[in-house]
Amino acid sequence: MSQENSAQGVGRRDLLKLSAVAGAALASAGLIGSRTAAAEEELSLKGKRIAISATGTDHFFDLQAYNAQIEEVTRLGGEPIAVDAGRNDGKLVAQLQTLIAQKPDAIVQILGTLSVIDPWLKKARDAGIPVLTVDVGSTNSINNTTSDNWGIGKDLALQLVSDIGGEGNIVVFNGFYGVTPCAIRYDQLVNVVKYFPKVKILEPELRDVIPNTVQDAFTQITALLNKYPEKGSIKAIWSAWDIPQLGATQAVAAAGRNEIRTYGVDGSPEVLQLVADPNSPAGADVAQQPAEIGRTAIQNVARLLAGQALPRETYVPALLANKQNVNDVSKKLGIG
Amino acid sequence: MSVDIQLAPVIRFDPGEAAFGSARGGNLAATALRAGSLIAFAVILVVFSLTAPYFLSLGNIGNVLGQSAISGVLAIGLTIVLIAGGSNVVTGGIDLSLAANMGLSAAVYATAVQLGYGDATAVVAALVTGGLIGVVNAVAVVGAGIVPLLATLAVMNIVAGLELVLTQNTVIPAATPLLTAVSSSGPFGIPVLAYVLLAFALIAAAIVQYTPTGLRLYAVGEFPDAARAAGLAVRRLVAGAFIASGLCGGFAGILSVSNLSGSTTGSGEMLLPVVVTALLGSVFSRRLVPTVIGTLLSTLFVGFLVNGFQLLNISSVLVSGVQGLLILLVVSATTLLRK
Repeated sequence: MSQENSAQGVGRRDLLKLSAVAGAALASAGLIGSRTAAAEEELSLKGKRIAISATGTDHFFDLQAYNAQIEEVTRLGGEPIAVDAGRNDGKLVAQLQTLIAQKPDAIVQILGTLSVIDPWLKKARDAGIPVLTVDVGSTNSINNTTSDNWGIGKDLALQLVSDIGGEGNIVVFNGFYGVTPCAIRYDQLVNVVKYFPKVKILEPELRDVIPNTVQDAFTQITALLNKYPEKGSIKAIWSAWDIPQLGATQAVAAAGRNEIRTYGVDGSPEVLQLVADPNSPAGADVAQQPAEIGRTAIQNVARLLAGQALPRETYVPALLANKQNVNDVSKKLGIG
Repeated sequence: MSVDIQLAPVIRFDPGEAAFGSARGGNLAATALRAGSLIAFAVILVVFSLTAPYFLSLGNIGNVLGQSAISGVLAIGLTIVLIAGGSNVVTGGIDLSLAANMGLSAAVYATAVQLGYGDATAVVAALVTGGLIGVVNAVAVVGAGIVPLLATLAVMNIVAGLELVLTQNTVIPAATPLLTAVSSSGPFGIPVLAYVLLAFALIAAAIVQYTPTGLRLYAVGEFPDAARAAGLAVRRLVAGAFIASGLCGGFAGILSVSNLSGSTTGSGEMLLPVVVTALLGSVFSRRLVPTVIGTLLSTLFVGFLVNGFQLLNISSVLVSGVQGLLILLVVSATTLLRK
């Protein structure tokens, strides 16, 4: 046993240290980010029509990013053309087609399944309209503003492995591997778990769905807990975003299996509240800063239209909220 | 349209002067409404042309036609069932499985492509899927005698379940020469899907409005007892309508794979808009009955509304409300004028 532990090379204490360092690094990155934003007040979109195409606005993340973009375009003196596809791919494609016909000065696409939107982003580019994206990397996008999903995935996975003491079964929701940020976070979980031979991802993996995400996750986890009735047979539940986490947390609490911890990403206020509750099974939630991401994307548009070169990706720092620091994170995000 | 003229005198043969008078009054009202709805359509087009930039451009009109192709094909399929089953929403003909059918057919197409099959095989597989769903509906309605509303509702759930099993609720990307060709632009820079919709509607209209089979469908839907007495194969015609509708679902599935570069989740959301479109289609016909061209017009009406709102930059939170209000206005006008 002890030999195995040393062979792994990373003990629980190291993990805790690691996540603390990561947290500090993220926090300082956050400070730098806000300082640069304040220094570039001279940006302008006067007389520009900026199209904002959202895949949906039914999640905290999209809604915050979408509204922040509209506000930022207006603040910089431009005219926003904002469309919301309500998570319907057919509508999303139709809206992009119409946007291309409207010939805006730039299109900013928020999220979306890459294989569905990419042909139309290419058509926009071919029509001479600059395309920028939020949280979806595409070869047809000049710049993608996003959270550092590699960092998010790694931080969340390390927190999870640390919380369960480096061993045990974890349940994974992997329904949206086609969505790039989810795929990166999942891959990072697999990368971290690879070095902890006693941590096992249970097969088959669960599939989270849209809509009815919460109810569906609740049902699936309730069924799974019946399949694994012994305490300790499941240590943690992971999902690439925090709406399945919400349902999973409720199911774990309802089944009285509070030894299980749940993990997710996005910083939805209701999940952060659960993380803050010492009795709740919610273990950690990596909070992105969607409004900041939205504003940054629009500032990038202004920079591009002013002739500046943009990096392929602009990363807005994410904040890992665990039981210890959740109140600070919520304060930083302006929630509660 | 010849069907309308053929059937109209039937009402006049009704015994009693009152019936004669009301029929004539009804025809007047119907003419007024049909003209009214066409004028309303025209007014909306003119208002958008004057206020919405780019609305009147050929590219934009082509876009709207192309964007309406999938819902148009589905609504035309539903129209055939409405004609053969009668347009009573509760007890008459309805096919609630159409949107799910499109989703499953699209998933079958994309899966076939992923498995390495070519376009020809995938097209056949999608159409067979759609057709089979139509057969199941036909058996449930005609064979087992279940009310179409319930029968197709049950089939809808089965089909949606099959789609989930097949796709695991994920997006299945698909790219083939045929799919690329259908999603690209054709002559005059108009999307190929627009031509597909127009060609499909014309062929369907030719069959439904101008052939003896089409006339029999109307007879079966409007006066099933009379049709049976006249020796028409009522059951076979109704079954045929469901199978035709199923094939439309399969065809729409192929168009959807092309438009979305694969099969995606959430096809079920198409159902209510398609039902509304098909029912709304009646106001664009001379006798306020479902017709293929009426349905095409109502599909385009809805398409132009959505497009115009986006061009006018109306806040996305208002669009579906305003759209619903306009549709309610048109439908209530129909109902009031019918009285």
